[in-house]
Amino acid sequence: MATDDSNAAGFGEVSRVRGIAFEYLSLGASVAGLVALGVLLVYVAIDAFDLANASPEWLLTYFLTLVVPFLLFCLYSAGDPAVTRRVAGVLGGGLVVVAAAFAAIEAFVVTIPRLSWQLAYLFVVVAPTTAYLAYVGSRGRVGAVGFGLLGRLVGGVAIGLAVGTLFLVFDELVWFLAYTLGVLPAAALYAYGSRRAANRAVTAAIPVGLVGLVAAVFLRGVVGTYPSDLIIYLWTLAVPIAAVGAFLVDARGSRVGAAVVGGVPLALATAGGFLAGSVGLPGPTTLIVIALTGVPTAVYVHRVIDGGDGVVGLGLPLLIGGGVLVGALVVEAWGVPAPDPWLDPGYVTEAPSRTAAEAGLYPAIVGSVIIIALVAVLSFVLGVGTSVFLEEYTAGSGVVGSLTRLLQINIANLAAIPSVVYGLLGLGLFANLLGFGYGTAVTASLTLSLLILPITIISAQEAIRSVPDDLRRGSDAMGATRWQTTKNVVLPEAFPGILTGTILALGRAIGETAPLIMIGAATTVFSAPTSLFSRFSAMPMQIYAWAGFPQADFRYGVVAAGVITLLIILVGMNGTAILLRNRAERGN
Amino acid sequence: MTDSTESPDLQRRSGLRRLKEGTYGGFFAACAAVTLLTTVAIFVTLLSDAVVFFSEVPIAEFLTSTNWSPNPAGGGQSFGIVPLLIGTIVVTVTAAFIALPTGTLTAIYLSEYATPNARSILKPLLEILAGIPTVVYGYFALVYVTPALKATLFPEISTFNALSASIMVGIMTIPMVSSISEDAMSAVPDDLRQAGYGLGATKFEVSTGIVVPASISGIASSYILAVSRAIGETMIVVVAMGAQARMPAVGETLFGIPYFNPADVLLDSGMTITVAMVQIAGGDLTGGTIPYDSMFALGLALFVVTLVMNVLSDIIAERYREEY
Repeated sequence: MATDDSNAAGFGEVSRVRGIAFEYLSLGASVAGLVALGVLLVYVAIDAFDLANASPEWLLTYFLTLVVPFLLFCLYSAGDPAVTRRVAGVLGGGLVVVAAAFAAIEAFVVTIPRLSWQLAYLFVVVAPTTAYLAYVGSRGRVGAVGFGLLGRLVGGVAIGLAVGTLFLVFDELVWFLAYTLGVLPAAALYAYGSRRAANRAVTAAIPVGLVGLVAAVFLRGVVGTYPSDLIIYLWTLAVPIAAVGAFLVDARGSRVGAAVVGGVPLALATAGGFLAGSVGLPGPTTLIVIALTGVPTAVYVHRVIDGGDGVVGLGLPLLIGGGVLVGALVVEAWGVPAPDPWLDPGYVTEAPSRTAAEAGLYPAIVGSVIIIALVAVLSFVLGVGTSVFLEEYTAGSGVVGSLTRLLQINIANLAAIPSVVYGLLGLGLFANLLGFGYGTAVTASLTLSLLILPITIISAQEAIRSVPDDLRRGSDAMGATRWQTTKNVVLPEAFPGILTGTILALGRAIGETAPLIMIGAATTVFSAPTSLFSRFSAMPMQIYAWAGFPQADFRYGVVAAGVITLLIILVGMNGTAILLRNRAERGN
Repeated sequence: MTDSTESPDLQRRSGLRRLKEGTYGGFFAACAAVTLLTTVAIFVTLLSDAVVFFSEVPIAEFLTSTNWSPNPAGGGQSFGIVPLLIGTIVVTVTAAFIALPTGTLTAIYLSEYATPNARSILKPLLEILAGIPTVVYGYFALVYVTPALKATLFPEISTFNALSASIMVGIMTIPMVSSISEDAMSAVPDDLRQAGYGLGATKFEVSTGIVVPASISGIASSYILAVSRAIGETMIVVVAMGAQARMPAVGETLFGIPYFNPADVLLDSGMTITVAMVQIAGGDLTGGTIPYDSMFALGLALFVVTLVMNVLSDIIAERYREEY
């Protein structure tokens, strides 16, 4: 080596500039799209909540009453002085940097429209810090308890509202009969059979349930008198949920706890249901929401108190609720000018209107919920069925093997067909040929189910494939048939993964617009649908319709509120899916 | 699980049990058949109405006419796909100019430079880009991007224009390019990288000179998939690009090759194949009319193009994949 270094001038000297420049270029490219999207989301949030007109005092009030206590809660839960120092540094330093940078840009480059440095600080520094702290805090026991409780409250309300919405189009009397004659006896037989190890009772559960369901449909027209709606929901929803909650607590060996956990939410739901009418709320929905929120919350609270670990975390909902209340009181008392958000309670409970101030999204939300519920059932059944067939029932070679490969290629290709073409399929097949009608919920949900079917299948296949083969062979060795192995081993193991994939696919379906236009869904309907065959709108359809309005109030206000509503629902669904996946991964 | 109650059935009694097994197997097979039927149904639906359309409008006219005006009210009806093709190609190419370089660089960063921690944060965040509903992107393009472009770079831009729509389509397709390319780059064995370092190559040289060429088939197939996604993209262009099927002014170069000025098309409203379909669907759905059938002809064109591109992408990924 040493002999020929005469002709290797500069050997070993490499310019690092090119490499470093490339690294930062690729880093920049990675975040470019995200930054662009982030800026757009900030602006749409500002428009939806009218934050451009929020006074600094108003922002400061809520920052102090809502954000700061929440941050302190997370810091307390994290219990790590290093994190505390870092967060304090970022919040303090960020304030100076953002204010200075903002002033510099305003002075020397361009004026930034509809953004003040306070808002920039909130979005650029406070929001990411809060997200980071929420993540760090949730790893501590106190934080985990707090977020667990908050999640059950919010999730319960969301599911309760969705269930209440479904009964707008589904006949609650049929449900009453079906529950009483089919679901209840079947569940009782199943529970009895599994407890007493009576195989016959378990086997009989499904036929008994089916007979009950069929009988319910026939009896619907025959039976003349029915109990009132409230009694029906109390009997078919609130009582069984409370019973399940009480049973769960009882299984942990606490009789009194079981009575409280089952009884208190039931009493609250009953009272709420009967009293709601007097304050102008729909009674049945109130009852369902309280039951669906109260029971899981009560079970969770009981478990936390029973465990005695992180009980302080149960105060988080109070902290947030109190923060909102105190903030509102301060704003009221000192007359702080408050913004007038487009996204307010009226927006989600009222029908569309010609004037921007009165426009609401209610019928479109109802339409979306109903369509998504149907799509969920259809695509889950079809997706699981297909993936079980492909993974468990087919051989790798021979004629069946090549058929499987054909199916697999076909599914991959279906996933790449533009959604607008699925719309044509829905129009030609479901709306025209089969006569389900233009723009009805049935047509829409069949079309969207086929659209997301490939995604559902692919993710369900992955979930099933990740079940270890040892488990299958073990089950086979015990003499189980293929179906028994699938039912008892594969599906329970793969279930969280399948559920996650399905929810993510549903998130895709809820934002799809082009297929709905193609099947003739209404852009604007003024009242909530009353049957599956009435004309529907959906959230994205309504956004599409409003985006075409030339008035600035619609463009920058009403549509922005619709976009935020849609995104909040999407984030909720995807967040649930990710939580489920994380929990399943931790369980393994 | 729950199987503690089920004693193993050593005799394998046939009859009810076999029926049960057969029923479940049949059910699963039926579910799988639905996916196959979907493809067939799409093809038949599109073809049956497209055939009717082409019996009214000759294929040659459909493919060469430069005028798209399906509405019978506005004078003469004419079904020429050329202006729609120009609109589609312009949007796709512009979006590709954004998505392909950005996506490739992202993939290189994720696979070569990012720490495991950064990757675990960036990858799900990038998936968000593909998860935002497209109508929302369209709204962003119309309400925020276009005014921003008007205020800064292009004062003469019109309210509905192809440029802002294309930018949004590009941003939406970034994760498509990046995730598939990154999979391909991560599959490149570490031996190759180490060999490069052993020869004295820098990280930059290893990334661009070894990893990218070694994963070129995956990158190419991701490009094709992203372009096919951009071609079929509907709501962004419907909301942000307007609905005017325009032929740009065609000039002739020195050698008689026709050309048009991209700025003409980009800064003005236009129409893609998907927009034309949505526009017809928004008005007339009664069936049996020529505009109704034309929708299916356009859908067939779109279906065939995206199908060919997907198959092509599969073939490239399979045939030219380097086996290690």
